Parts: sequence; C-alpha cells; structure tokens
Amino acid sequence: MKTSFVQTLQRRSPLKDTQNLSGGSKKKSLFSRDLAMALPLTSLIDAFSIIVIYLLVGTQSGGMETQIPNKMNLPLADHSIGIIEETPILKIEKGVYYLDDKIVRKNELSEKLSELKKSSVQKTAALMIQADQEMNYEELDPLLRASSEAGIEKMKFAVVPTK
Amino acid sequence: MKNKELNFEINILPILDILSVLICFLLLTAVWIQVGTLDTMQAIGDNSTEGAKNPPSLWVTVEANGDVQLSLRDLPKSQVSGDEVIKSSRGVNWAALEKKLTSLRVQFPELKTSVVRPGAKTAYGDVIRVMDKLKQSEFEGVGLSPLG
Repeated sequence: MKTSFVQTLQRRSPLKDTQNLSGGSKKKSLFSRDLAMALPLTSLIDAFSIIVIYLLVGTQSGGMETQIPNKMNLPLADHSIGIIEETPILKIEKGVYYLDDKIVRKNELSEKLSELKKSSVQKTAALMIQADQEMNYEELDPLLRASSEAGIEKMKFAVVPTK
Repeated sequence: MKNKELNFEINILPILDILSVLICFLLLTAVWIQVGTLDTMQAIGDNSTEGAKNPPSLWVTVEANGDVQLSLRDLPKSQVSGDEVIKSSRGVNWAALEKKLTSLRVQFPELKTSVVRPGAKTAYGDVIRVMDKLKQSEFEGVGLSPLG
C-alpha cells in the first residue's frame, strides 16, 4: 500500500525525466525507473550559475574598466596605485594621440585639454596616459607641454603592477 | 481512441551544451589585466617665482643608452655634487641606481623632491621604471621634465 505523498509527487513531476540523462529512445523498458544511471543535471546547472555569477562579480569589481590595445605593452611598476575614480584617458599609439578614443592632432592637444579642464568637476583635473613601454620619450613630450599649458597637473601613467 | 499524452519534457541538454561552450569561449578569449597608475604632479603654466627658495631636489637624467646622471640641487650643504650610474649590458643598471638612491636618501634625509629628465630617444618604459625606483626610495614628489 502506497501511502507516502512524496512518491505520488515524484510520479507526477514532469521534470523528473529531464533531471536524468536518458538514451534518447522514447520507449522505456520496464526497468527504466530502476536504472537511473544519471548525471544529475540540477547540480550541473548549479555549477554553471555559480561560474556565471563569479564571472559577473569578478569583472565588475569597482574601479574603472578600460580597454588596452592588443599590441600595447604597458610598463611595469612595483609602486603603483589602483584606479579608483573615472579619469579621462589619453592613449598614444604610434605617434597618434587619442583622447577618450577620439583622435586628437598634436597642435590641438592644448585646446582639447583646456576644454577637459573646464568641464572637470574636481579641483585638480587628472589625466591617465596609456602608452607602450617601447615608445620614445619625445612622443610624450608634446603632451606634457600641452597639459602644463592647459593646467592639468595630475598625470596618471597607466602601468601593470608587478606586486 | 485516446489522445497521446502531452509531452512536458524540456530538453535542456542542448542549452547546457551551448552554455558550456559559451563559458569556455569567454574564459579562453578574455584577458583580464589589472591596471594601476603611477601618479605625478606636474608644474603648470609658469610656476616660477623669482627669489623663492626651492626645496632640495634630485635631478635624474636618463639617456637613451641607459646611462643615468644624478645631480643634487638646492641643498644647504656646499659639498654637494653629482653622481653617475653607468649602463649595464641590458640598459639601465637598475640595481646600482637603487643602491645610489637609497644611499642619497640616507645621506640627505631632507631630500624629498625629484625630477626625471629623459632624453628624446629614451624609452618610456625606462622613464616609468626610474620614477618607480624613486617612489620606492620614498621620494614624495616625483616630477617629469619636458625636453629642452
């Protein structure tokens, strides 16, 4: 005599079969219920959910997200600090200047940085510089002069921390 | 004749396959690099004030071949002179530079400001590394000088 309500629910559940791997054949043998050679899919789904949540949390760990070109090797430094606040990025690639991904000509640098300084909410405007470690210093020089003219005093050089 | 029973089974195996492939693809292709910054405060406009007393400072000239010259300015002691770190076979001799900077900090504790003066062809990576070494030697104000 079957009195347990759990057994009744198990029999009625449409998800029961989907939780187990089956052979694909629609015909089920009389002993199919006993076979249950099953990989429990619910645990797999749990594992996937945990991985997805981990990736989502790991990639949005505060700070600032920035994209670095594949061929750009940032210099290494032991005594760097983390990026806490959003800062305008000035990228130098093969002598071309990009201010927030927009090309800026060398003779326009000072003007664009002055606009940036005016639009800055903070008292001391800052600028993050991304450049390849093999770049010559003469390519950075116009930027230093332009930022000095524009009144930007805080320069943040993007580096890869070694510690 | 009875109708066939409705099939409630949702085949989630293909969905799982797609999900696993997607996750593997994302994990393999994405590269996460933690980026930090090395901060400097630059002089702006014409900050020179005539007659004002400058703080003692260390000027570090970095040549493209790896030679580094150190010169001390505005120190109260009159016997102050410069020093030089000769390049090694692989560019700047970092160990010797570190040693010199540490000894200077011990010798002149009031020395807290430093200015890096690279040459036109000096590698940006070397400039940043010199600034990093200065920060390591507890120089509080590290600046970068334009060319010329």
